[in-house]
Amino acid sequence: MAPTKAGQPAIRELGPSPFAGTKLVGELRLQVGTRAGKAIATRQYHQGALRILRPHYLDDTAQVCYTIVNPGGGYLGGDNYGIEVSVDEDTSLLLTTQSATKVYKTPGTFARQDMVVRLGAGAVLEYVPDQLIAYRGASYRQFTSVDMHEDSSLLFCEVLTPGWSPDGKLFRYDEVRLRTEVSVDGRLAVLDNLLVRPGEDSLDSLLFLQDYTHVGMLLAIDAKIGAPDVERIRELAYRIGEAQRTPVHLGISQVPGPGVAVRALSNSTEAINAVLMALVDELRHHLRDQKPLNLRKY
Amino acid sequence: MPNTPTRKAAGHLLTLLQLTDSALPTGAFSHSMGLESYLSTQAVHDEASFTLWLEKFLSQSLAYTDGLTVRLAHEAAGGEGLARIDALVTAAAVPRQIREAGVKMGARMLHVATSVFPTPELEAYRLQVESGECSGHPGIAFALGAKGAGAPCADTVAAYLFSTITSLTQNAIRGIPIGQNAGQRVLRAMHAPVLTAVETIFTLDEEDLGAAAPGLEIAQMRHEHLRARMFMS
Repeated sequence: MAPTKAGQPAIRELGPSPFAGTKLVGELRLQVGTRAGKAIATRQYHQGALRILRPHYLDDTAQVCYTIVNPGGGYLGGDNYGIEVSVDEDTSLLLTTQSATKVYKTPGTFARQDMVVRLGAGAVLEYVPDQLIAYRGASYRQFTSVDMHEDSSLLFCEVLTPGWSPDGKLFRYDEVRLRTEVSVDGRLAVLDNLLVRPGEDSLDSLLFLQDYTHVGMLLAIDAKIGAPDVERIRELAYRIGEAQRTPVHLGISQVPGPGVAVRALSNSTEAINAVLMALVDELRHHLRDQKPLNLRKY
Repeated sequence: MPNTPTRKAAGHLLTLLQLTDSALPTGAFSHSMGLESYLSTQAVHDEASFTLWLEKFLSQSLAYTDGLTVRLAHEAAGGEGLARIDALVTAAAVPRQIREAGVKMGARMLHVATSVFPTPELEAYRLQVESGECSGHPGIAFALGAKGAGAPCADTVAAYLFSTITSLTQNAIRGIPIGQNAGQRVLRAMHAPVLTAVETIFTLDEEDLGAAAPGLEIAQMRHEHLRARMFMS
């Protein structure tokens, strides 16, 4: 593939890059379709510090699982990453990461990741990455835009944790923003624009973190999520949250789309993950009659 | 403009006073925007803790939601721009009760503004809401009403912020409860934070609209099942 004069490789099969004009440290473009009854990447491209592992099929469904790898190790100030994901009609993709995304000290300017997602009619995307770890002095912005059909299905989660020093003390990062914009049939349905500034102390972070250190979010958009489902999801989340050794402070609400949004605060990644994974399993069972998620990471 | 003494009050002053009056029938008195959840856990329980909460709410939430909405609506050149702001601020209200509060108060503010201070821009926005193209938001209706009266953008934003701060303080007076004089001290203490918030709002852009703090959002979401509620949000 010959690079163009702007340094952006031209990939005709994937169409114009949504990141054209931005210098990317890592880029991943993935189109997933159905071939011989199974979901599989029909077109893919990567460059720099992002690539994907070979596909896996984690259960007896046609859903394909791809794992994003960042061989660069972590995000630094001024780094831009771009991920484009297109899922064809009636195709199901599970996207995860190989390990936590680390954002180191970003003097000068923030690190940034842009993710552009398109879901065809009847398409499914489950995005279940490892946690995002932000170290002292880190500033990070993640912009995700999802374009989906009324009958496609989205499940999106993130866990944000502070990095720790060698003596085990937690660092306070500067700022993390996770901005996720979901349009259904061309109309903006949800703008989940999470902003976290831990500040100097718990007074500074009264509205952000209170006395907690870890943040979790889950957003599910699917025409089959009704008000009774939101109530059931709330009860399940509270029940799983109460069963954790570390307290988990939870909020659940119905959003347009229709769908459900979940917010979690805790002092432990494991406790937040336990709640979010229980909700992921409940949603995939309810919406698709699919078995619990087992990422089999080792 | 030359800085000459004048015997004339600015034409927009009375419009701003009327639109920010706590008697304006927008229903703001029945919305706590999550404050009631903090009252129920005793995190906010007196004048000092309320002052701290209110300052954080203003600088870390309200500035990014309604405050930025007012500025962008005041600056918007036409219906398309307003529709975009309306869609963003509505979609950014992730907690259900906050979204519903926006739509409810938006309809009332729009009704007051269009009937009392009609302008072509307000009328066009009313039609956009009526047709379903827009959801309606109080900040947009307020901005258009104030703009129609000639209020500068910064004054419009400051007036809107202070009006919301006043409603929340009135709610705290009833909800905590604290005395009327304590309420006035809180309001006075918010002058500087409001002016700072206005400055911050002018450094933001569209991608900041609706930036939300997770702890506050959890409080707003948990309000949905709070026992013995005084407020609708």
